Amino acid sequence: MSAQDQDHQDNSTHFGYQTVDKTEKESKVASVFHSVAAQYDVMNDLMSFGVHRLWKRFTIDASGVRPGNKVLDLAGGTGDLTAKFSQLVGKEGQVVLADINSSMLNVGRDKLRDRGLVQNIDYVQANAQHLPFEDNTFDVITIAFGLRNVTDKDEALRSMYRVLKPGGRLLVLEFSKPEQELLTKAYDFYSFNILPKMGELVAKDGESYQYLAESIRMHPNQETLKEMMETAGFEHTTFKNLTGGIVALHKGYKF
Amino acid sequence: MYQQFICAVLESVINKALTLSLNGNKGLSSLDQKCLVVQLSELGFPLSFIICDGKVLVTSMDEHPDCSIHTSIKTLVELKKDQQVTELIKQDKLNIVGDIKVAQQFAQLAETLDIDWQTELAKHIGDVPTFKLTQLGKKLANKLGFAARQIEADSTEWLVHEKRLVVPRSEISSFNLQVSELDIRTEALTEKFAKLNALLSDNKE
Repeated sequence: MSAQDQDHQDNSTHFGYQTVDKTEKESKVASVFHSVAAQYDVMNDLMSFGVHRLWKRFTIDASGVRPGNKVLDLAGGTGDLTAKFSQLVGKEGQVVLADINSSMLNVGRDKLRDRGLVQNIDYVQANAQHLPFEDNTFDVITIAFGLRNVTDKDEALRSMYRVLKPGGRLLVLEFSKPEQELLTKAYDFYSFNILPKMGELVAKDGESYQYLAESIRMHPNQETLKEMMETAGFEHTTFKNLTGGIVALHKGYKF
Repeated sequence: MYQQFICAVLESVINKALTLSLNGNKGLSSLDQKCLVVQLSELGFPLSFIICDGKVLVTSMDEHPDCSIHTSIKTLVELKKDQQVTELIKQDKLNIVGDIKVAQQFAQLAETLDIDWQTELAKHIGDVPTFKLTQLGKKLANKLGFAARQIEADSTEWLVHEKRLVVPRSEISSFNLQVSELDIRTEALTEKFAKLNALLSDNKE
C-alpha cells in the first residue's frame, strides 16, 4: 500500500456503504438528522413497532441511576432517556441532553418543556469526540442509537471516558448483529425493502432511512464494540443482546 | 425484556388511574422522590415504584429503596382482606425492610383511589348507553355470581357426597378428635401395663 493510499484510508470513513472523507461525514450525517428530526419519534415507533421504548427502558434499568446523580445523555436526540433520567435523579441531580445536531436538540427541548420537565435539564450542542465538559463530571453517560453516526468512534469513547467520574458507567445502546441467521435475513429484508419506503411515506425522505439501514450494517458488532470500549479504558465491560441481537446494550465502568 | 414491558404497562395504568381518580394525585406530594420496591415471588424481578413530580415511575431497578417488600401475590390479597401484617411477617410470608411508613403511605394512596367509571364511560359513549351498559353489567355480574355459587355447591356435593373424593373439614376434625382420644386411651393402657409388670416382678421376688 502506497503512502498516499494509507493517508487516504486514515482520512476516510463510512457514511452508510459509501466511503467518504472524515470531514464530509459530519455534514452528511447532520443533513440526515436535520431532515428527519420533526418525524423522528413517529418513525422510531413505526420502524421498531414501539419496541425502542422497551430498549430504552432496559438501558435506564441497567444504568443504576439514583437521586442526585449527574447524567449525560449523549446524542440524546428527542430526549426519551433524558425525560426518565430527569425524574429519577430528582431535584438534586442533573441531566445534560447533548446532541451535535441543533434540529434534534430543538425538537427534544420543545418536547421535554411541553411535558413540564425543566428543573434539572441542560441542553448542550456538542460533538461526542470533543465533549465540552471537565474531566470526571458525570456519574452516568448514555448514548442511544448515536455512536454509529460518530465519525471517529474511538475518539468519542475516549472523550466519554475522560468526562466520566471514577465509578461512573457508560451505556451504549446501539443496533448490532442479530444472533440467528434466519433473523438476519428477515431483518435485512425489512431494513432494505420496507424501511426506506416507510421513510418515504412518513418522513418524505427515503434516502435518510436507506442510510440508517446501511449505517447499522457498517457499525461494529458486539465483540468489536466491547474491545473498542476496553481500548478506550473502560473496565468490567459487558454487553447484552436485545431482541435477538438486533440491538445490544454495552456497559463499561471507569475506575 | 418482558420486565420492561410489564413495568411500562403498570406505569401507564397507575398514572391513568391517578388522573381519573376523584381524589386526584394529592397524596403523591408527601411521597416525592420516595422509592418502594416490591419483590413478588411469582415475578422473579423487582418492581420499583418511584414518585416524581406527581407521577409514578415503575422500573425494575432495586437499588437504594426507601422500603422494600418481599412477598407473593397471594399474600398481598390476604393482606388486603384482613390487615394481618404482623401475622404474615411471623409466618415468613411477608418481609419488610426499610421505612414501613413509606409502604403504608403507598398503600393508603392505593386505597384512596376513587374512580367514577360511569362518568368516564359516559364521556365516550354518552349517558343513556352508559346507564344501559351499567345495568347490563350488574345483571350479568349477578347471574355470573349465582352460576358460580351454583357450580361450587354442585361440585362440592359431587366430590364430597357422591364420589367421596374429598373429605369435609368436619369429618377431618372428628377423625383428629378420635385419634387424640385413642392416643390418650393407649397411653393409659401403657401405664396400666407398666404397673402390672412392676407388680408381677415384685411378686416373683
